[in-house]
Amino acid sequence: MKKSQIQIGETIAVLFVFFILVAVGFIFYAMVIKGNIGSEQDEASQLRAIGIAQRAMFLPELQCSKDVITEETDCIDILKLKTAEVLMKQRQNEIYYYDMFEFSEINITQIYPQITGLDKSQWTIYSRKRQNSPKFITNIPVSLYDSITKTYRFGILSVETFSK
Amino acid sequence: MTNLHTKMKHKIAQMEILGLAIVVVLMLVAAIFVIRFSVFKEPADYRKGFVSSELASNMINAFLKTTAQDCSQLTMTELLQDCAQAQSIRCRGETPACSYVQAAAGSIFEKTLNKWNMRYEFKAYVDMDRPLIRLGEACRAEKKSRIFPIPISGATMQAKLDICG
Repeated sequence: MKKSQIQIGETIAVLFVFFILVAVGFIFYAMVIKGNIGSEQDEASQLRAIGIAQRAMFLPELQCSKDVITEETDCIDILKLKTAEVLMKQRQNEIYYYDMFEFSEINITQIYPQITGLDKSQWTIYSRKRQNSPKFITNIPVSLYDSITKTYRFGILSVETFSK
Repeated sequence: MTNLHTKMKHKIAQMEILGLAIVVVLMLVAAIFVIRFSVFKEPADYRKGFVSSELASNMINAFLKTTAQDCSQLTMTELLQDCAQAQSIRCRGETPACSYVQAAAGSIFEKTLNKWNMRYEFKAYVDMDRPLIRLGEACRAEKKSRIFPIPISGATMQAKLDICG
């Protein structure tokens, strides 16, 4: 073999190794970028979950009030809750509540006193689930006010938010 | 002379190969570090701060406002006040206020904080060293703490909830 042929072979080998290194570097860079995008998406989803939980906490349709004025925070009126459960599922209100809660499910569960008999202990006021999508659950303790007996019960407002 | 020249050439080639090997090893080590810390890093929990602080304050507020079952429509705050003072109230005919509040708090925390695998410590006290009610275990590291003062005659009682983590 001539010296020039050997040199061409050497150049081809060097170029081959160089392109392999470039490809490996590119794959690695793509992995890092993908990881960063994933973590940014995760952050946005988590912030959205907090926003939805806060909107649910301060929903005027549920909050305890006296003479139309909100009396206290972290309190849900059971009578209002029973009405809201029906109202929020009505077809004409779907878009309004979707703008507010997007893909999520909001449940209110009575924890204390323990319910016996036929009384209801869980209310689902909004439910728009998304299949095969990661979800965040935010549980917020609340007082459930029974305006008939003028007593407070202990409950949990559970907001399940599905990522886009 | 030619033999010495060939030997020198071999030595230089060996040193070049060794240099290349060192560069490759350094690049590999750097790549492993980058992969470890950027690609496989633990996902950050941005909700953690909000959830623990809301949980601690709402939990204690809602608990103290709750009306005790079968106990003359008294709230947990009123039962705690009796627990710290006269200890004259008997719920369901025989249970003293202190035991009643302890059992109610235990039942609520069991169905909430324990179920969600969250560690906590709940204390109600006038003198911090001698709590009247104590549930859970003291947090060893970071915690979100909420104290709710309850007025009693001649002093102030404190209801304190720490959520660990």
